Amino acid sequence: MFKGAFSIWGRDMRVMRRSIVSELVSVIAYPLTLYLAFGFGLKGYITDVNGVPYPLFIAPGLISMTAVNAAFDESSWSMWFHRKVQRTIEEYRVTPVTVYDIVIGKIFSGFSQGAVKGTVVFLVILALTPFRIDYTHLPVYLLCIALSSMTFSCLGTICGTVIDKPENIGRVQSVVIVPLIFMAGIFFPLSSYPSSILPLIQLLPTTAVFEGARDALLTGAIPSQYLVNLLLTAAACFTIAVYTFNRKMAE
Amino acid sequence: MNFAITLHDITKSYDGFTAVDAFSLQVQRGTVFGLLGPNGAGKTTLIKILTTLMRPTLGDAFVEGHSVLTAGKEVRRVIGVVPQENNLDRYLTARENLALHARLHGMRPAAYNPRIDQLLEMTGLAGRQHDFPDTFSGGMQRRLVVARALVHEPRVLFLDEPTTGLDPQSRRSLWDHIRGLRRTMTVFLTTHYMDEADALCDRIMIMDHGTCLADGTAAQLKDAFSRAHTYQVEFRNDADRYQEVLAGLPFVKGVERDGSLFQITLADEESIKPLMDHLSGSDIRRICLKEPTLEDVFISLTGEKVRE
Ligand SMILES: Nc1ncnc2c1ncn2[C@@H]1O[C@H](COP(=O)(O)OP(=O)(O)OP(=O)(O)O)[C@@H](O)[C@H]1O
Ligand SMILES: [Mg+2]
Repeated sequence: MFKGAFSIWGRDMRVMRRSIVSELVSVIAYPLTLYLAFGFGLKGYITDVNGVPYPLFIAPGLISMTAVNAAFDESSWSMWFHRKVQRTIEEYRVTPVTVYDIVIGKIFSGFSQGAVKGTVVFLVILALTPFRIDYTHLPVYLLCIALSSMTFSCLGTICGTVIDKPENIGRVQSVVIVPLIFMAGIFFPLSSYPSSILPLIQLLPTTAVFEGARDALLTGAIPSQYLVNLLLTAAACFTIAVYTFNRKMAE
Repeated sequence: MNFAITLHDITKSYDGFTAVDAFSLQVQRGTVFGLLGPNGAGKTTLIKILTTLMRPTLGDAFVEGHSVLTAGKEVRRVIGVVPQENNLDRYLTARENLALHARLHGMRPAAYNPRIDQLLEMTGLAGRQHDFPDTFSGGMQRRLVVARALVHEPRVLFLDEPTTGLDPQSRRSLWDHIRGLRRTMTVFLTTHYMDEADALCDRIMIMDHGTCLADGTAAQLKDAFSRAHTYQVEFRNDADRYQEVLAGLPFVKGVERDGSLFQITLADEESIKPLMDHLSGSDIRRICLKEPTLEDVFISLTGEKVRE
């Protein structure tokens, strides 16, 4: 069962292993710039948020952001590339594997990219910060990142499946993904929102991703509201991704 | 059951446009079947339906007894596919491309490694097996795609224009491979090259606009169309006068002239006698019956106009 998915995932991991070292510079550059610019640049103005030092306040979100962005990127571009450019999806589809093998393999590849790149940024930020986290909090934090990467990998898969023109994938990223990420309070506490829209913001899956990650890393627990949100979103996105791909392939 | 491929009234429409129209066909096991047709005839569409990449709008097809509609996975287990356009993975080496294909077919390294060695040897790619396909020439890439389609020893091999873009040497060497496969598997290929169909195929079908126009061995097709009775006549002198004479004869259906060389198409076989009555033997340098080529058959069936 799902041996085909495993083979396709294995292919993606082999290709990632070849390029990861050269990619790392660009993977680290973005979150690190944000970390230095906000964490240290604003340190004089914002000392702490609800008692948490500002650099520590933004660090979990930056790590999650790297992971989910990497998952989305990999899934969307890889699906698009294999479908439209290289047409390797067609090669997979004339072997006995099923469309479920293909889409699940691809989703796990995006997930793995997110996990690897998130870990790298985590280690780099850890090396740079004077703060030490409580390592007993790590498992919950990793769970949170895993669910988030899964969700974004599925979202990427959906985009890579339904979008034929590459520029439109870029548009979805800048119009949907980036605002969702920044609205979710990586850089500011959600209490900054007017109380009228706060409940809406709290329902966003990205809020669960980033607030959940921060709470997990700092307190060792994900608020149940966010955990449920993460689980439901991941399950829904997974179902939609598999369904969408299946439909597209039946055209 | 002796048929490797059976199509029952396969129809495929793209938003109202019918690319394949109630197509029926049975291909004998262990033979090489060639599908010929101009651009847009529906060849690739048929191959996509038979390889389960596309569902027919109507009808059903069977490959080695498995329905493409209800037993796609079983169909895919027994087929090898060389698509019209190479779809190699440019991030994997030649060998890795073959190995991934083998794994997708559920093969284990102990089974696929020797097989891959053998195929790389056969296609002359053994020396380049650790290189990436985008460093290969078009012919090498094509051979790699063919090798990939053979890794799992399919029983039916689909080749969509296998030799398009290859030089004469590569074409011939690919033909040799395909001939070598005959009998051990069924080969279904499409081509635009008449010499290729002539050289390779046990049976040829010419199609256009999604329907079959002619079907048979190369010899049968040429025979059926030798009714065209075209003669080549070369005149020693008086060519201009003869052009007028020929134009006035009722049983001459067509005249093409190139200097003193004429191509004369007659209405039927009996017309050769009255034709000779109108030509004076001393003015003729040479006269011969023009054997129809497969290309003549093809052009006469599908017309001379280029498709838009
Ligand atoms: N996805 C599609 N959507 C709409 N029309 C299509 C699609 N694919 C093919 N067609 C049309 O179906 C017809 C048959 O196409 P097909 O690719 O089967 O031709 P072909 O015989 O393989 O031609 P060629 O020799 O150029 O490869 C063409 O008129 C083509 O325009
Ligand atoms: Mg074609």
